[in-house]
Formats: sequence, C-alpha cells, structure tokens
Amino acid sequence: MKMIMSLMFFTFSFSFYFVAAFFYLGFWVFKKKWLGQCATALAYITLLSTTMVLVSRAAESGHAPFSNLYESMVLFVWAINLGYLVMEYRHKFKVIGAFVMTIEFVAMLSASLLPYKFKSAEPLNPALQSKWNWLVDLLRHAGLEKYAIGWLDFHVFTTFVGYAAFAISFGLSIMYMLKDRSERRGAQGAFVAAVPDAYTLDELGYRAIAWGFPFLSVGIVSGAVWANYAWGTYWSWDPKETWSLVTWLIYAAYLHARVTRGWRGRRAAILSLIGFIAVIFLYWGVSFVLPGLHAYA
Amino acid sequence: MPDKSKKGQAHQIEGGGASRLKTLGSKVWYFFNSLKLTLTVLISLAVMSVLGTVVEQNQPIASYAAKYGAAWTKLIVYMRVYDMYHSWWFLLLLVMLTLNIVVCTFERFPPKWKSLLNHKKDKFDPKLIDRLSNGRTFIVEATAVSVRQRVQEVFKKKGYKVMTFDEAGGYGVYAWKGIIGRFGSDFTHISLLLILIGSMLGTAYGYKGYKDLNVGSVMDSPSGDYKLRLDKFWIDYYDSGQIRQYNSVLTVIEDGKEVLTKQIWVNEPLYYKGTRFYQSNYGAAWDKIEQAYLALYRKGADKSEKPFTVKWGESAAVPGTRYSVKLTGYAADFYYDEKTRAMGSISADPNNPVVLVEVWEGKKPVSSSLLFQKYPGIFPAIPGSNYDLAFVNYRPTLFSGLSINNDPGTNVVWAGSIVMGLGFVFAFFVYHRRVWVFVAASGEGEWDVKLGGMINKNQLIFDRELKDIAGFISTGKFRS
Repeated sequence: MKMIMSLMFFTFSFSFYFVAAFFYLGFWVFKKKWLGQCATALAYITLLSTTMVLVSRAAESGHAPFSNLYESMVLFVWAINLGYLVMEYRHKFKVIGAFVMTIEFVAMLSASLLPYKFKSAEPLNPALQSKWNWLVDLLRHAGLEKYAIGWLDFHVFTTFVGYAAFAISFGLSIMYMLKDRSERRGAQGAFVAAVPDAYTLDELGYRAIAWGFPFLSVGIVSGAVWANYAWGTYWSWDPKETWSLVTWLIYAAYLHARVTRGWRGRRAAILSLIGFIAVIFLYWGVSFVLPGLHAYA
Repeated sequence: MPDKSKKGQAHQIEGGGASRLKTLGSKVWYFFNSLKLTLTVLISLAVMSVLGTVVEQNQPIASYAAKYGAAWTKLIVYMRVYDMYHSWWFLLLLVMLTLNIVVCTFERFPPKWKSLLNHKKDKFDPKLIDRLSNGRTFIVEATAVSVRQRVQEVFKKKGYKVMTFDEAGGYGVYAWKGIIGRFGSDFTHISLLLILIGSMLGTAYGYKGYKDLNVGSVMDSPSGDYKLRLDKFWIDYYDSGQIRQYNSVLTVIEDGKEVLTKQIWVNEPLYYKGTRFYQSNYGAAWDKIEQAYLALYRKGADKSEKPFTVKWGESAAVPGTRYSVKLTGYAADFYYDEKTRAMGSISADPNNPVVLVEVWEGKKPVSSSLLFQKYPGIFPAIPGSNYDLAFVNYRPTLFSGLSINNDPGTNVVWAGSIVMGLGFVFAFFVYHRRVWVFVAASGEGEWDVKLGGMINKNQLIFDRELKDIAGFISTGKFRS
C-alpha cells in the first residue's frame, strides 16, 4: 500500500514540532513578542499538518487511522497539540509550549522509530469492523456510505482525547512542582519566573483532568458497548480493560481528594503523576507486556 | 417510692440497649459517610486490579506453583488471587463502595437540594460581598438609569438569571446560572450504582452459551420457545487474501413458521426476544460433508476416469456403468474400535477423511464400503467386479460457531452509562455561578459598586468573568 502523502505530512509535522519547540524556547528565554507569535503560528501549522497525516492515512488505508500503534501515536500527538492550543488561546500562556512541543517532537520521533509491523496500514480484521448501521443508511442517500464510522473510531478517538488531556495535566503537574519549589524558596531564576504562578498551574492541571476523565469514561463505556456487539460481553477483565479501570480509579480518587478533601498543590500533583504513569502503562505497557484482546494496538 | 425507681431503672436499661444500638448504627453510618473511605476503596480497587493483571487469572493451580513456588501459591490460592475479580474481598470492596455512595448521597443530597431550592429567598447582604475573596469595589461615573441598565444588561448577555433587591442607600442584584451543575456528582454516583446493579443482574440471571451449528441444521433457543436455522456460512476475503469478515445467515422459526431471517457477522449479532446470537467461530463439520468427488477405476487402466459428484444423502449414477452410489457417511479423522466395531472420528480435524458409500446395481444393493481419501484401494468398493471407486476430494459442510448471550442487566448498564454521561456534562462543564452586586450612590453621578461571586469549580474562568462584568458596568461595553 502506498503511503506517500501521509509520510510526507508526517515528515513535515515532525520537523515543524522541532522548530516550534525552538521558537517557544526562544520566546521563554528572550521574551521577544515576535518569537512567541511565530511559535504559536508554527503550532497551528503543525496542527494542520498532523491533521493531514491522519486524513491522508485514512485515504490510503480506506479506514479511519486508528488501527495500529503508529496511527494512535499520531492521534495522541494531534490531540495534545489541539488541547494545548485551546489552553494557550484561553489562558494566554505561551511558555508551557516549550514543554509541549518538545514532548510532541519526542512522541513523533518514537512513532517514526517503531518497527514496521506497528506501522503498516493493514486492512481491518473482522472484529475491528464496526460501522454504525444508522450512519451507513444515512450516508447512503448521498452515496458516501464508505465514509461511515463506527465504534472503533468513536472508542479510540474519545480514549485518546482523554490520554492527551492527562498528558497535558502531567506536564502541568511537573511544572507545578518546579514552580512551587522555587516559589517557596523565594528566589526565582529568570527561567522559572516566566512560568505562570503555581496556583494557576495547579488549577490548569485540574482542568485538564476534568476534561480527560469524562473522555476516558466515554472511551471505556463505548469500548464496553462495542465489546457487547463483537464478543457478546461488555466486560471481560482483559488487561487493557482492567488497566483502563485502574487509571479511571486513580483519577476518580484525584477528583474526590481535590474537590471534597481539599487536596491541592503538591499532593494533587503527585496523584496526577501516578495517574499518568498508569496511562502510559495502559497505552504502551499493556500492548507490549500483557497479552490480551487488545493485542493489536 | 421503690417501685418508681425500679421502673426508672428498667427504663434506663432498655434505653441503654437502644442507644447502644443507636450508637453502633451511627458509627456504621459515620464509617460509610467518610471520604477517606472513598479514597481508600478506590485506591484498593486499583491496586487489586493491577495485581489481577500481573498474576495470570484462572490458570491451573500447578502452573502457579511452577511459576511462583509453593509458599506464594498457597497465598494466591488462599487469597483467591487466581480469580481476583470474583474473589469475595474484591466483591466486598465493591459493596463498600456501594454503601459509601448510598450513605454519602443520603447525607449530602437533601441539604444541597433544600438550599438550592430556596436560594432566591436568601437575604441580600452587601457586607457579604466584601468577605468574598474575589469581592471588589469600584466607582462608576454614569447616570442612575444607565448604571441600572448596565447591570441588568451584562447579566442578560452572560446568560444569568437575575433578582433585584431595593435596599437602604442603594440596590442589590443577585444573579445566578448553572444550578444543574451542582447535581452532576449525584448523577454520576447514581449511574455507578446502576452499572453495579446491572452487572449483578447479569451475573445472577444471565445466560451464556456456545453452539456449533452446521449449515442447514436447526437448534433450539436457550428458552426453548423458538428454533434457529443456519442457512449459510461464508468468509469474505480482501484482495490480499486476508480475512475480511465471517458471515452467517440465520432464520428464526417459531411455531413452525419462519419469523425472521438475518445475516450476522462479527460486530452484528442477531437479536431475538432478549437473546443475542454472535458470530464467534467457524469450522468444517467432522461427521458430514456437502458433497464428495468420486472417481471410477477400470481394472487394467492406469488412470482413473473423470471424477463425478455425489451429494450428501443422495444417489448418483457412476458414469459409464450400470451402478449408482449413495453417500451415507463421513468421518474427518477415521477411527475404528475393533472390540465394539464402532466407527467414528477421533478428532474434528480432517486428518484421515473417509466416506461411507452404498453401491447399487439398479434396485439391488451390491455393497457398502469405506473409501479413504489418503489410502485409495485398500478396500474394494465393488467386490467381484472390474470396477473400483476412489474418494478424490470433498466439499466440507461448514459450521458456524455461535455465542449465545442473554444478559438482562445489559440495558441497566447502558442506562447507567447514559446517566453517567449526563452527570459528567453537568459536573465538569456546567458551573454553578452566583454573582452579587450592590450599587450605592457615592456622589453626584457617581456610584459605589460592590461586586463579588462564587463558583463551584474553575476559579480561573470565573476571575476573568467577574473582571468582564465589572468592566461592562464601568464602561457599558466589554473590553475586547
């Protein structure tokens, strides 16, 4: 299968994350307005380019680009980029971009280094084919039924929006820890002084989890609905399912501790870090270490 | 008055027992009304679940002994780690979580409901604004009418509901929106209860089964009130040769009538009267084939003649002879028990396929013979003649493996999921905001405005919103 377009956009996004990271870093160090503007513009261009990786990949493989590790990595990177830009637009903090774009670059790098079997666009196996009949019927009127989506697409998309939000919260929690330590010491270097204050970082980290948690939940529930159609049971304690529940429980604990017991700041940040370690294991660890029904992604 | 004192004592004893019961009750209540308990249970469930993925589940005990040694295995068996998610103490944690949710809801929901129901009756107190952490006071220069208008307009634009109080020395405005956001957590908690109830219903009353059904065969439904026939089974392939989909066509037969015919595939089960039939396996039958390809040998000839087809259970003329053959039996992996003289198949795999054929000459039966695909000619098909038959090939009868599932709890779980979704929208994306404004004259065309508010979540957004509102009241427009 030819994948020239998606490869081109991938290379393009890959290099632009690198450049964008540099501009954000430059803005952080030199505090020149034009550097920040360029960095933001680059982040938008890269978002567009990453979108095109997914779109061209879908066009090349004939199904939504959510069926293997490489594709899910691109989706992950795309969702983090989108989430970051929403946050930058709403809260006008640019310094965080230096972290985000570097992480994006590393993620793209690791995606590109994956062995071929995780990358090749394979046709979907029987269990992964799940189109919504009502949507197929609806689109048939316009002759577009091959663009119908289904549980696979919905399940993977919502789950990865959740992962991305948790990743953003993870980054914010680390920044919080650094900032909090230097705030308590009193003396702040010029680097750390440019970072938003600890209170804001803490609150933003919580907001990110407040987005991630419902999306993860919808991802889990849609997976259950789908499993009920494909396998005849909505929950089978498969390692991926179990780890998604573990992650869900940790973030549920985070939300309860924060909202009702006033766990803020450092303690909340530590819980958020633990939560993200669970996310990483849920995403990568389960696929590589534990055998199960989700072995394909 | 000894009697009286005795009576009093008796009362006391009774009262003591009741109150001891009462204190025990309140202790239990207090125990389950704790958020520390919530956190403990959530984290314990997480740790137990992780343990369940580390220790492989439902393996034979011997394999644990080989992997972890005798001492650990003893612990694994004792603590039921080998079947973690059905162990009594995993269930105990779930029960504790349930009680925790129920008690917390009972404790917290009614006062919240009451206060939210009566919020409009609360007295307006300008001094409270100063006590709010985001409370602020600023001076506005404008006419009385335009200040009043601005205050009304800004809340209307932001989608707030408004009440105005006329007070001594000025007037107050109370504005609010997003009350439903306060009930988000209750929705999610109730949804969790629904999901737990649904899964318990499934465990208690659900039915799970599996059945291999040959093409053309009929099976009874688990409830026995209708039958199911497999009309067809086939596999779709991609151009590259990979399997695209497994398909079966099923017909529901009720009271001898065909009620419904449906094509099922992986991800598309047949649903009939509460039971779902899933495509989950397939294979070739071991005791039946669709048709056999037989070939005729003439004695002395070095090659067989062109093969001809015999369908299962039917007769076919042997071309060029006066014989006909009937296909009466098949075994995929031939087996013969010398003691009982029973014939059959030792496995379901076609390792040694055999057909049983009857040979007829007109209306006279001639013989009944076994023909081996792999060992042609070991038994003569038509003894005492110049002919022999060879079993060349066959077309298998496919069976479709159907998972059968009737889970009355599924719909409860789905209902719970929908409630949970609603709960999340309310809890995370609808904020309950309340803003209080007090306007008092401070000079000619000059107004002292006090403004402050409360939000149940997302302080960052709210700080900016208050700034926006204050800006509008000062200038009559929003800053871009």
